[in-house]
Amino acid sequence: MVKFLKPNKAVIVLQGRFAGRKAVIVKNFDDGTRDRPYGHCLVAGISKYPKKVIRKDSAKKTAKKSRVKAFVKVVNYNHIMPTRYTLDVDLKDAITGDALESRDKKVTACKEIKARFEERFKTGKNRWFFSKLRF
Amino acid sequence: MVSTKKTKKTHESINNRLALVMKSGKYTLGYKTVLRTLRSSKAKLIIIANNCPPLRKSEIEYYAMLAKVGVHHFNGNNVDLGTACGKYYRVCCLSIIDPGDSDIIKSMPGSSETPLHGWWCIYRSNPLLV
Repeated sequence: MVKFLKPNKAVIVLQGRFAGRKAVIVKNFDDGTRDRPYGHCLVAGISKYPKKVIRKDSAKKTAKKSRVKAFVKVVNYNHIMPTRYTLDVDLKDAITGDALESRDKKVTACKEIKARFEERFKTGKNRWFFSKLRF
Repeated sequence: MVSTKKTKKTHESINNRLALVMKSGKYTLGYKTVLRTLRSSKAKLIIIANNCPPLRKSEIEYYAMLAKVGVHHFNGNNVDLGTACGKYYRVCCLSIIDPGDSDIIKSMPGSSETPLHGWWCIYRSNPLLV
């Protein structure tokens, strides 16, 4: 009886090219829109996870291994699995309403999200979110 | 002897309550609609048959844990649950949206001790996760 599909909820994408990747809900559309008459949400996720960094890596290597590739996508609720985790990263200003209209806007949005994800990864918080889901 | 008698009595009472919900309340039958009601936070109680596939059962329990909704494991398989709902088809899981005149919600919470109950206690007691 509690709404749990809210912004900042960590979810796992189940279908499509990014199946198995973790993502965070940015915006919900519970009742759908005219183009998409079903419950869906805008998610920002990790397309390429950062690699495992060990102590004997040089600074250059650490920087290279900590890179994250992000994606932005609109997904049907049926195609995501919500988890009990949340990710408190402010992505609302990075993804404006028209981010998915043209390829250039999508690329700039992804670059912005990538920067935010990388800075969060480097603090060492939300370790679950940045680890690859093994299946 | 005493325990079997007791479970039979409570089992009948669940059936009675379920019949009353079917008559006077709102419900949905089936896995897809159960998940839909859980997502939209309309569900008040979920009932799962005992021969539900374990992955599906875990998934519904997890959703219910996130939504803080009780889950009742019906003492019977999907055929029995369909019959208990008064339907001529099998029902593996159902979601009660509005119990109507029935007191199924009030009398059931004790029986929602699922294996995830431990999870749920941790989830609820941790202010960071809510």
